[in-house]
Amino acid sequence: MTGTVVPRMSRGVRFHRDPDGSAMLLVPEGIVRLNDSAAATLELVDGRRTLTAIVDALCVRYAVPREDASRDVDDLIERLSRRGYVDR
Amino acid sequence: MNAPRPTSLLCELTYRCNLQCPYCYNPLDLESYRDELPTETWLRVVAEAAAMGILHVGLSGGEPTLRRDLPEIVAAASRAGLYTNLITQGTFLDDARLDTLLAAGLEHVQISVQAPTEALADQIAGTRVHANKERAIERVMRRNVALTLNCVLHRGNHDAIADVIAFAERHGIAKLELANVQFYGWAYRNRAALLPTREQIERALVVVAAARARLAGRMQIAYVLPDYFGDRPKACMNGWGQAFLTVTPDGRVLPCPAAAAIRTLHFERVQDRPLAGIWESSESFVTYRGTAWMPEPCRSCDRREIDWGGCRCQAFLLTGDAGATDPVCGLSPEHERVIAALGVDGGEPLIPRRMKQPV
Repeated sequence: MTGTVVPRMSRGVRFHRDPDGSAMLLVPEGIVRLNDSAAATLELVDGRRTLTAIVDALCVRYAVPREDASRDVDDLIERLSRRGYVDR
Repeated sequence: MNAPRPTSLLCELTYRCNLQCPYCYNPLDLESYRDELPTETWLRVVAEAAAMGILHVGLSGGEPTLRRDLPEIVAAASRAGLYTNLITQGTFLDDARLDTLLAAGLEHVQISVQAPTEALADQIAGTRVHANKERAIERVMRRNVALTLNCVLHRGNHDAIADVIAFAERHGIAKLELANVQFYGWAYRNRAALLPTREQIERALVVVAAARARLAGRMQIAYVLPDYFGDRPKACMNGWGQAFLTVTPDGRVLPCPAAAAIRTLHFERVQDRPLAGIWESSESFVTYRGTAWMPEPCRSCDRREIDWGGCRCQAFLLTGDAGATDPVCGLSPEHERVIAALGVDGGEPLIPRRMKQPV
């Protein structure tokens, strides 16, 4: 995926974070629980940030190597897009 | 044991419906649900659900748009932060109604069609509705609202799935649910005539695989193998009393939409006790929650917390014991009952869903 792509939540998909910190996607069929790294990424998917901007933000926030962050983000967006939860 | 946090509520607002689909999972004794909850009770139920940590609300029926207060209920759910999903057959979804519901905060619409063509669809529904449904689908698509198209599959339309997919494609549908009929309520009564054949299912799997490949990135197609043809049961409701509750039109709180069929359980009502109390400690939720109730072969099965013994309602319908292993499981001592049902040719006529219970 190229870094200029701007991912966004698909129609009918909403990111939700509970007061206890757990995160999930609310989707037509129900609820998809998210692990911490997926939640951190999806919190940045706002329909404005590019993939590059998302990776930049994650690198700063979690002090992870850029290569790893970039691979993880691509992988997540690809999987969620295949399930119809994210458009890119 | 402590009750887990529920996540999803299904509000069955009414069992009234102008369609007569013989595959409906609603109970046979529809008339006993005519005394419907008033608006203020539904508003309270929705608020209580949000306070319990529930995040997702399905508004269903019967046909939920027959309730004039549907926009009010949607608005209350939406204000409470709940995700709202309208499950409708679409025949009353005109421009004004749809706009009112969207203004109230509705997030997703599921519309069902009986078949891809008018003649077959109207025949299954028992009335002329297909053209109206098609217009409702177009209305929702024009407004750029999230829509799932649903088609319940059975012997009478299973061979039309390629055309259902083409219908969905023509309407620009992004999510298509090809839902094999599940045998509860009217569908259980009509099982012999509704059960697809193994050959139909094998053909369907080929059609679906090809369509998924061709439409990747454009349309999600859900097609789940019917449990009668599988070897392990479905994880019904993700476990009894683990995540889901249903409130019926007259206020009964059920762990599964089909549970009212279980005559050996008593279901409390939202009029009598707060939803949270019913969820935590009512007999009907506690009896089959977790794994302590399980008989063998479930009790020692390494899948006991994956499929939770399958479906309690199906166990009751097929064996008379809601605490039995779901007979669709190949390990169930009663599995023969499922195999026997598959062998039935099914020449019997379909009984259309009507408010009056069939004899």
